[in-house]
Amino acid sequence: MIKHVGRCLYIESKGKKILVIGDLHLGFEEALNNTGIFVSRTMFKEMINYLVGVFEEIGNVDEVVLLGDVKHTFGSVLKQEWGDVLRLFDFLEERGKKIFVVKGNHDVILRPIVKKKDVFLVDYYIAGGFCFLHGDRDFAENYDKKIKYWVVGHGHPAVKIGNGVKVEKYKAFLMGKHLGKKIILVPSFFDCNLGSDPRENNLGYAWKFNLNKFNVFVVQDDSLDVLDFGLLSRLP
Amino acid sequence: MTQKIEYLKPYRASEVKEILNPLVSEWFFSKFKDFSATQLYGVKTIHDRKNILVSAPTGGTKTLTAFLSILNYLVDLALKDELEDKIYCCYCSPLKALSNDIYVNLVQPLEEIAKIAEGKGMKMQEIRVGLRTGDTTVSERAKMARKVPHIFVTTPETLAIVLTTQKFVEKLAMLEFIVVDEIHALTNKRGVYLSLTLERLSNFSAIEPVRIGLSATISPLEEIAKFLVGQDRDCLIADVKLVKEIEIDMDFPGKEILDAWTTTSHRELYDMLDKIIEKYRTTLIFTNTRAATERVVHHLKEQFPGKYVGLIGAHHSSMSKDRRFEIENMLREGKLRAVVSSTSLELGIDIGSIDFVVLLTSPKGVARALQRIGRAGHQLHSNPKGMFIVLDRDDLVECGVLMKEMIEKKIDKTEIPHNALDVLAQQIFGMAISKVWDVEEMLTTIRKSYCYRDLTKEDFFAVVSYLAGDYALEHRNVYAKIWYDPVEKKIGKRGKLARVIYMTNLGTIPDESHITVVITTPADRKGQQVGKVDEGFLERMKRGDVFVLGGQKYQFLYSRGMKAFVKADVSKNPTIPSWFSEMLPLTFDVALEIGRFRKLLKERMGGFGGGRPLGRSDLPSRKKQEALDFVRKHLYCNVRVAQEIYDYFREQNDFSEIPDEKTIVVEKFKDEKEYLLFHSLYGRRVNDALARAYGYAAARLRMRDIGLGISDNGFYIAGEKLEEQKILDWVKAKDLRTILKEAIETTDVLKRRFRHCAGRSLMILRSYKGRDKSAGKQQVASEFLYRAVKKISNEFPILREARREVMEDLMDVKNAEQVLRWVENGKIKFKVRRTPIVSPFGLALHMVGRMDLIKMENRAKFLRRMHELHLKAIGNKVK
Repeated sequence: MIKHVGRCLYIESKGKKILVIGDLHLGFEEALNNTGIFVSRTMFKEMINYLVGVFEEIGNVDEVVLLGDVKHTFGSVLKQEWGDVLRLFDFLEERGKKIFVVKGNHDVILRPIVKKKDVFLVDYYIAGGFCFLHGDRDFAENYDKKIKYWVVGHGHPAVKIGNGVKVEKYKAFLMGKHLGKKIILVPSFFDCNLGSDPRENNLGYAWKFNLNKFNVFVVQDDSLDVLDFGLLSRLP
Repeated sequence: MTQKIEYLKPYRASEVKEILNPLVSEWFFSKFKDFSATQLYGVKTIHDRKNILVSAPTGGTKTLTAFLSILNYLVDLALKDELEDKIYCCYCSPLKALSNDIYVNLVQPLEEIAKIAEGKGMKMQEIRVGLRTGDTTVSERAKMARKVPHIFVTTPETLAIVLTTQKFVEKLAMLEFIVVDEIHALTNKRGVYLSLTLERLSNFSAIEPVRIGLSATISPLEEIAKFLVGQDRDCLIADVKLVKEIEIDMDFPGKEILDAWTTTSHRELYDMLDKIIEKYRTTLIFTNTRAATERVVHHLKEQFPGKYVGLIGAHHSSMSKDRRFEIENMLREGKLRAVVSSTSLELGIDIGSIDFVVLLTSPKGVARALQRIGRAGHQLHSNPKGMFIVLDRDDLVECGVLMKEMIEKKIDKTEIPHNALDVLAQQIFGMAISKVWDVEEMLTTIRKSYCYRDLTKEDFFAVVSYLAGDYALEHRNVYAKIWYDPVEKKIGKRGKLARVIYMTNLGTIPDESHITVVITTPADRKGQQVGKVDEGFLERMKRGDVFVLGGQKYQFLYSRGMKAFVKADVSKNPTIPSWFSEMLPLTFDVALEIGRFRKLLKERMGGFGGGRPLGRSDLPSRKKQEALDFVRKHLYCNVRVAQEIYDYFREQNDFSEIPDEKTIVVEKFKDEKEYLLFHSLYGRRVNDALARAYGYAAARLRMRDIGLGISDNGFYIAGEKLEEQKILDWVKAKDLRTILKEAIETTDVLKRRFRHCAGRSLMILRSYKGRDKSAGKQQVASEFLYRAVKKISNEFPILREARREVMEDLMDVKNAEQVLRWVENGKIKFKVRRTPIVSPFGLALHMVGRMDLIKMENRAKFLRRMHELHLKAIGNKVK
């Protein structure tokens, strides 16, 4: 069973309950501070609040999979990141038995943080017909016949919806097929920006998906139910 | 203490001559025959150490007026060997280029005076002039620190910087004169900023320096005088009237003005311009916008191949400094036959002798029009000469009234922003860098500025709290730029980087986001960057559109990040009308005057028409002649223009009704949506406020989004179903600010202004730790910052400032309230008329297209509604 829970994805496969969380970019605010933008740090608290809501909906799980880009900066560990990552893992460990982190392009030196915790840091994670990937790199193992689904982060998919007068952007899941696999592109979890519309931008995946044939599931602001908008090519 | 602001009478020439040192007197009369009117007012007044505001039309001799008695004083001292190592006079101008100019004009007289002294065998100390702007090199600055100039020439920004340099402050502590030039160009946040800098200067000065303000024609002078001197200081005003006659006329290309937008009449426009350029030695053409500037140069070159090569130039603010400088030089050297400018040549840089000024499209205000036409006949004895060339019928009426006001010398009133909290934040930071302040002393100093005279303690401490990092709670150390000790009541700077941050981020002019235009085809020019367009311009462009940049045509292909990729060498005509971008607002005073003219002409057309078919009815010929004569006399215009205006009014009269100073005609008609079009001729700043208030009223009635269109002549709101009576009744003067606060909350304009305010208040540093941020990056950051700030507090001081700026500086909420009060007390009446389509007076406004939206439906609801619609559209086949 695959279920969208707001911007997260909930999977039940072979008796295992898995919660999937998209790109987090912890430390984003501190990184901004370091470039001279004095934004205050409210993001983490809001993320945790959101996750509390998600767990209320699905209960505790066996595994939590983070789809990468857990932290924002490349090549260094900021103070805020350090604290936030540890606090996030504390929070998740209370609600999931195991935590898998798929390495993202922003996670170059996540290891020293993860070492302190009982967390598995991997390039990809395969479980029960699902392959969890960040999305910037391809691996031979992804093509194993037993794998039916790819669950991918990285691209921050979102869609612009307009009626000719007003245009608004919303985070969205894109679901379709590629080389015989079912593909689920997961929106970013972090709140700082909504993401990019694949009709205007290249989302930077390692594969050339035919996104026009993907279905769009739009995440709502005030509900954990997503709205099925059908094919991307037919979106208003 | 009461403040005395008084008008001054000119002194007699003998009285002025009497005060001059024989040497200076000899020099002066070797150059000039007599004192100018301006000098008769100013020289002795400054000599007597009185604050003075000199207002004189361009072409006056303001600068020398200010300097003559100062030079005189310094020469006196130099001859007596009493000149000290300190800055006696600080001259501050908003223009960098002008500062260069003054430098030359100051150094030269000094050299000439020194020569006379030498000739007489008199010993005289050297009087030093020092120029420092943002462009001054480090070695030049170091030199200045060693040999301090007696006259210090600078810009408002650089002056603020030197106030944080201990060495400079010591040299400035005994300052005797401060000259603020081009003060009419400082009735904005830059001026607000300068007003605080001047107070900082006065605060540490051992003697109160004499303040001298130099201004072009501006109104009200009393306000500007108070702005110059601050609270509790007296000021004399020299209102030097223009003795020269203005020679101004007005016409349109082609036989009839309705043709003005067709291609043929474009040819006629350029024929007309060509004839003017031929007739005069140098012609200056003002266009209002950068895009129009480009377009005029382009068409002149295209229509007269070869004729204007190297003889015509464009000059606008987004051109590179070097390119502008080159054009200015060519002008001074008399090498150009014509130069086309947006607004950038309005200010007083010396550009040599211009014989004729063309005002292509309305300059939107009397002061601005005078300033522009004053560029011709800059020399003492020639009259300013120019003409309006008008391209549409609304402009015909508007320029007609402007011309009348120019001739009758009625200047529109200008306003200076008050209690700007972003500027305040930057200045408090600067003050804290200079020294540790007693909090009361700081507030008193700030309140001495006219722009902060009624600053509340609450606002002051809100800004202090922001700067001290109070809003950031546990992360104070990251955000705090100052410390505030509430027990000792002291304020000081925080962090080692404070001074560097201040120096590299100081200023009030926001970075605008520009898109670089890059060529992709033809292959031999691939990758070539041809210039920049502003982001807003790009938003209006679709793939395949052709636009003009730097006189060349390009076809837009696609954009990536901050780059737009284009095809060069296109033969297609431009598809983007760029004339309407970056529009100047019509001033309220001129707008009211147009309303009055409408009423007067309407009366002369006498209770006529009202829904009769077009063209069938006309006045009896005698009455018609009287009406035409009235137009001609009232507006000082020619017969052709009068006839066009008359016809325009008759068409409106026949179709619906002529709106006037007492009647706001509201037309209701249906296009795709239902429209209420308000013929409220109050200028776009007032209309912006009114449109949003009525738009909000309509939006909340049905909880749906409402589209808006705004122009100088009126506004419209468009929606599904508009109940006009309820909408009209709901908006009241006393509620306007509250309504607007709600109505602008979700608009892009508030976000954009917030970005500017965040920059000024140093929430977003454009330069930090040696790295500069692009405007694009600042914009992305500000989006996020905006949302974050709203979560902290909806009353965060910088957010409040952004709202104030939108309501008071961008819009004109004060006069909008006035209009609503006139409606409430019956001075103005709404007249709702149902019309089949938009009336002639509303046509241009209707064509502006939708400009903004009152968003009433929230994101979540909008999404669900769109989902339902989409399901219907695709036949519920989603599953």
